[in-house]
Amino acid sequence: MSAVPVTLTEDELRRLKAPARRERLFRLASYFSPLLLLLLWELSSQLNLSDRRFFPAPSAIAQTAWRMVLSFELFDHIGATLRRVGVGYAMGAVPGIVMGLILGLSRPVRRVLGPIFSALYPVPKIAILPLILLVFGVGDASKFVVIAIGVFFLMLYNTMSGVMQTPQIYMDVAKNAGATRLQTFRRIAFPAALPSIFTGLKLAAGSSYIIIAAAEFLGARSGIGFFIWASWQTFAVSRMFVGIVVISAMGYLTILALEALERRFVPWAKH
Amino acid sequence: MAAALEIVRPSPAEADRPAIEVGHLTKAFYDSEGDRVTVAVSDVSFSVASGEFVCIVGPSGCGKTTVLRILADLEQKLSGTVKLHSATPPAMVFQETSVLPWLTVSENIAFPLSLKGVSGAEQEKRVRDLLALTGLTDFARARPHQLSGGMKQRVSVARALVDDRDILLMDEPFGSLDEQTRLVLQQELLRIWETTGKTVVFITHSVDEALTLADRVLVMSPRPGTLVADLEVPFERPRDVVEMRRDKRFWDLTYKVWRLLASPARA
Ligand SMILES: Nc1ncnc2c1ncn2[C@@H]1O[C@H](COP(=O)(O)OP(=O)(O)O)[C@@H](O)[C@H]1O
Ligand SMILES: [Mg+2]
Repeated sequence: MSAVPVTLTEDELRRLKAPARRERLFRLASYFSPLLLLLLWELSSQLNLSDRRFFPAPSAIAQTAWRMVLSFELFDHIGATLRRVGVGYAMGAVPGIVMGLILGLSRPVRRVLGPIFSALYPVPKIAILPLILLVFGVGDASKFVVIAIGVFFLMLYNTMSGVMQTPQIYMDVAKNAGATRLQTFRRIAFPAALPSIFTGLKLAAGSSYIIIAAAEFLGARSGIGFFIWASWQTFAVSRMFVGIVVISAMGYLTILALEALERRFVPWAKH
Repeated sequence: MAAALEIVRPSPAEADRPAIEVGHLTKAFYDSEGDRVTVAVSDVSFSVASGEFVCIVGPSGCGKTTVLRILADLEQKLSGTVKLHSATPPAMVFQETSVLPWLTVSENIAFPLSLKGVSGAEQEKRVRDLLALTGLTDFARARPHQLSGGMKQRVSVARALVDDRDILLMDEPFGSLDEQTRLVLQQELLRIWETTGKTVVFITHSVDEALTLADRVLVMSPRPGTLVADLEVPFERPRDVVEMRRDKRFWDLTYKVWRLLASPARA
């Protein structure tokens, strides 16, 4: 308990603490509101208010999920999707960050190469999937490439804006301390851009799962996207929902992991 | 980037040449969007002897920072001459917070050394000395966001001292501090200066601070900044920043500088 100054009356104290009490209540409510949605869904399904063929009850989906866990049938799909996202993500993120740093630091390079990237960026990645399948085949390579392209642009733009927003004072400090161009790049531009880089990494993780789901619908024999698509085609709606929940959870956990990394590597930024 | 400044290595014969020579320095900024020209500094000439402590006072916006940034080669002059006779480039303490937030206090102080590939052991030794000198030993591993404003300024001062350059440029380093902390840091700075023999150019908008620290005070007029006076500060060294306020000459000089600042035209 915190110490209470004797000069405050009971009423003053109550009013003083009221906002904090309300805040606690809201926080509690925020945990339960998603559950409420599930409950409504369950009820409307049980009472036949919604079409059970399209929206099976959450309890039915949970049963299906449990059976699939016991039969290990999902794990290969999870592994395939994770591998594609992991490799494609790394292939896109590393060059994206490096190019972002270069474009952010060098005005001439930005002026010359910037328009090329601006022109390519708006092309929907899914729209060029057929082209990528044509070039890289239906194997994993095409998945790596389409994810890498999506990730590359997000990392490029976030890193570049992070570098360009670096306060001039840090550049002045580097120059006065006698930093070379490369040292300014590594010791100033990169750390200054790290918060933006992490914003990019989180956005890119989200969009990687969107891209991989779509890519696996069309051109794969494994992966959660393939599993969702195959379930739909056989009208196994409960299984399809399990797939949707699994891929959502994968995305969520990836972002949690990135946030943990961010706290570890960007301890100076406000979280 | 081409060096705009001429840094001349002193030969024994030139030992008593001034460390800094500024002649008819003019600097203007052009804002192309509003098609507006701001003359920040106009025809400023002064020189600073080697080992001298010079303060520049003037109202804010009169071009003090601009002069210092030109001396540090962070800004290009428009015309005039700027010569530094020094074996090393000048070290700068910036007006605004300039500690790097991603480095610890120790790493911030060691930053200039780490760029030059000085050995880890040597860096550690230098940093340990400077932490002690600036009273930051207990915060060696802290990050800047855990420090008060005064502590951050101490870090900047320590960083400017770490690679022992001949010329120290300080831009209102204590401007944002409370009077108590400022007094402590002024005393520390005088002690450091007395033991190292550096050439110091110290900017302040505080007449009091200028008289406390300097051998000579340069007074600048409001924009466009020009020099309106160059005053000797006669107090003996070493100085006690509190005791010197008992000296009547301190207040006479204070009055004189205030007269100049109030009506520079009559100087
Ligand atoms: N980079 C800049 N661009 C445009 N104007 C500037 C710039 N830097 C300084 N100035 C102008 O030059 C004048 C002097 O500024 P400054 O040297 O910072 O003054 P002081 O340090 O004495 O307060 C001010 O009017 C300021 O607005
Ligand atoms: Mg200034």
